Amino acid sequence: MKGLAALLLLAATAAPAAAHHGWSGYDSTKELTLTGTIKESGYEHPHGHVRLATPGKVWLVVLAPPSRMTSRGLPASKLAVGATATVVGYPNKTNDEEMRAERITIDGATVELR
Amino acid sequence: MTHAGQAGWLAWLESTGAATAMRQWLWLYPVVEILHILGFVVLVGSAAMFDLRLLGLSRQLPVTGMERHLLPWARAAALVIIPTGALMFIAHATEFAGNPAFRLKLLLLAAAALNAAIFHLRPFRRVTEWDHGTTAPLTARFAAGCSLALWTGVIACGRLLAYF
Repeated sequence: MKGLAALLLLAATAAPAAAHHGWSGYDSTKELTLTGTIKESGYEHPHGHVRLATPGKVWLVVLAPPSRMTSRGLPASKLAVGATATVVGYPNKTNDEEMRAERITIDGATVELR
Repeated sequence: MTHAGQAGWLAWLESTGAATAMRQWLWLYPVVEILHILGFVVLVGSAAMFDLRLLGLSRQLPVTGMERHLLPWARAAALVIIPTGALMFIAHATEFAGNPAFRLKLLLLAAAALNAAIFHLRPFRRVTEWDHGTTAPLTARFAAGCSLALWTGVIACGRLLAYF
């Protein structure tokens, strides 16, 4: 019973587990521009993230450290679930559902993340 | 421990208040990182200066005197490094536990600690025979070389775990 609870907990927390990478893990020769709906967001260290539902695919989009996003005018409230966001960035070299965003545009305001 | 048991334990670590604070408080994570760096600068710096003395530099300085000065600083630094490292670990325990650079770092840390313990239990016992003005015995110089290599490896793995 305890094991089952632990597994459920793991399933709930393991989602952004692969979100800790340097830029070198991403292919900068393949720039992507994705527009979609935010399904989930994490304003967390070392990097924030959103799950972005685009036509045909849900991307894990790795953002910047929360302190940087705050100082550049992207507070946690802007990454609201249901909001529309456009990100420009690069796909992960090994995980084809993850990308790292160079910049993000929400409500017409673009924030540089690097 | 079973694989599921281990996964559950790691997930529990990530769910603790301290782990959540590390991920969500705006400045806690960088402050902890800075303290961790200050700590290992003092620890590895102390170890490296002592190792270089054992390898034959500044032979006019007594080894015992250097040990009395550097070891308390190294110990105090460990008291900063271990809790700050643990905080960073629990923030993303599952991810770190599976990270090859992190695993190698722990292995090298254990080897560095073992190397220091063996040095203190063996060649250092007879330090009065080679305290200053002479070459340290081969076992002591070997331990010094191992220490420099192992600590370099620990720092390299610590930095590289963000890239794996």
